[in-house]
Amino acid sequence: MPSDDLATSLAACARGDRKGLERIFDTEAGRLIAVAERILRRRDLAEEVVQEAFIRIWKNAHQYAPDRGSARGWIYTIVRNKALNVLRDGRREDLVEDGKLEALQESDQLEDVLGALNRLDQNSRLRDCLASLDERKRRGILLAYVGGYTHGEIAGRLRLPLGTTKSWIRRGLSALRECMS
Amino acid sequence: MIFDPTHIDEIADEYVLGLLDQSDQTAVETEMEHNAVLRNAVAASRERFLPLDATVEPASVPAGLWSRIEAGLGDAEPAVPLGGATLAPEAIYPSAANENRRYGWKATAIASMAASLLLAIALTWSLGRQAEPIVIAVLLDERGDVQAVVEDFGNDNARIRLLADLTVPDDKAIEVWTLPSRDMGPVSLGLLEGASSRVLRAPPLPKPQDAQLYEITLEQAGGSPTGRPTGPILAKGFAKMPR
Repeated sequence: MPSDDLATSLAACARGDRKGLERIFDTEAGRLIAVAERILRRRDLAEEVVQEAFIRIWKNAHQYAPDRGSARGWIYTIVRNKALNVLRDGRREDLVEDGKLEALQESDQLEDVLGALNRLDQNSRLRDCLASLDERKRRGILLAYVGGYTHGEIAGRLRLPLGTTKSWIRRGLSALRECMS
Repeated sequence: MIFDPTHIDEIADEYVLGLLDQSDQTAVETEMEHNAVLRNAVAASRERFLPLDATVEPASVPAGLWSRIEAGLGDAEPAVPLGGATLAPEAIYPSAANENRRYGWKATAIASMAASLLLAIALTWSLGRQAEPIVIAVLLDERGDVQAVVEDFGNDNARIRLLADLTVPDDKAIEVWTLPSRDMGPVSLGLLEGASSRVLRAPPLPKPQDAQLYEITLEQAGGSPTGRPTGPILAKGFAKMPR
């Protein structure tokens, strides 16, 4: 759904019109579940997060305003933040049920997270700018945004000290802002 | 956490990426409520990264998820300070409601800090006056910006003060409304000539209540032809009693 329509639907929610929420659900729920699942790696938890997120969208719809960015960004942020909170509360390790599968899932996950770059639209500015970064900076940013990894987890995956990881990511983000401005 | 302007973009990015620890994350969310620079930086950062969320393959949505969500809405009715209330509910005034939608009553960003500040100013200002209003309503536009203050003195007198420049075409007029009760429906308090502040001679009405809705709409010159609001809502707000 175009972001303008999402904004209209949010306005309907703010008026207490459930049809507005249902329209958002019908067009976005599948993608929102997938975004949450990419972070949580468990479908059941992802569905729970989306369920809670929709109730929050309904309650807070009146707080949405264009100076908070696009309606789409506002909606996706609610789901992302809820997924990140579940992840941080439970820690990633507890979410993997079978220890033996962990290594396999981990590599699948990394592939999935880093592969997001190639699935960006060919003409996307973000794609060009991410591609222009050093590999470690790019990976650090993707692991954080797409996979919900913490600084510590990223340091482990990139085999870098924590402090170095933080400053690499910071420099990567700064280069990305400059590239996209 | 220090919100040094030179680091705002960095903080916004790390917040959006989910890299801040819990206490910094909360600090950012609190600061955003009143720091427009940070709010804009976070909005810009979200938009930069949002395309990555569109790269997922949509999951199949389980049957029953929507009904579980809907079941959860019952005890979570939206807190609708302004966005939901209007003098022209769709069921009764469909044309007015459509007009409102076209006009885009987006969920009102209630610049609540600004509004309360203005309310405080309005209260202080009214204290020095002889006649004491029974209620004061600060009217906000769809973006949450303060447009006007209505003081209702209850003795068929109300004063409206415009606090923003409103453009009124020659063939239009601003009409002031209130909703004394659902049974009575919306009642006109009078018209503003041009776009200036004035005292209105309202029809006899019940004593104004706390949380009574006040609203200004753009009507044809001479006032609404139906005696009910028909034009776009310029601003609205709920009354408070001076303490």
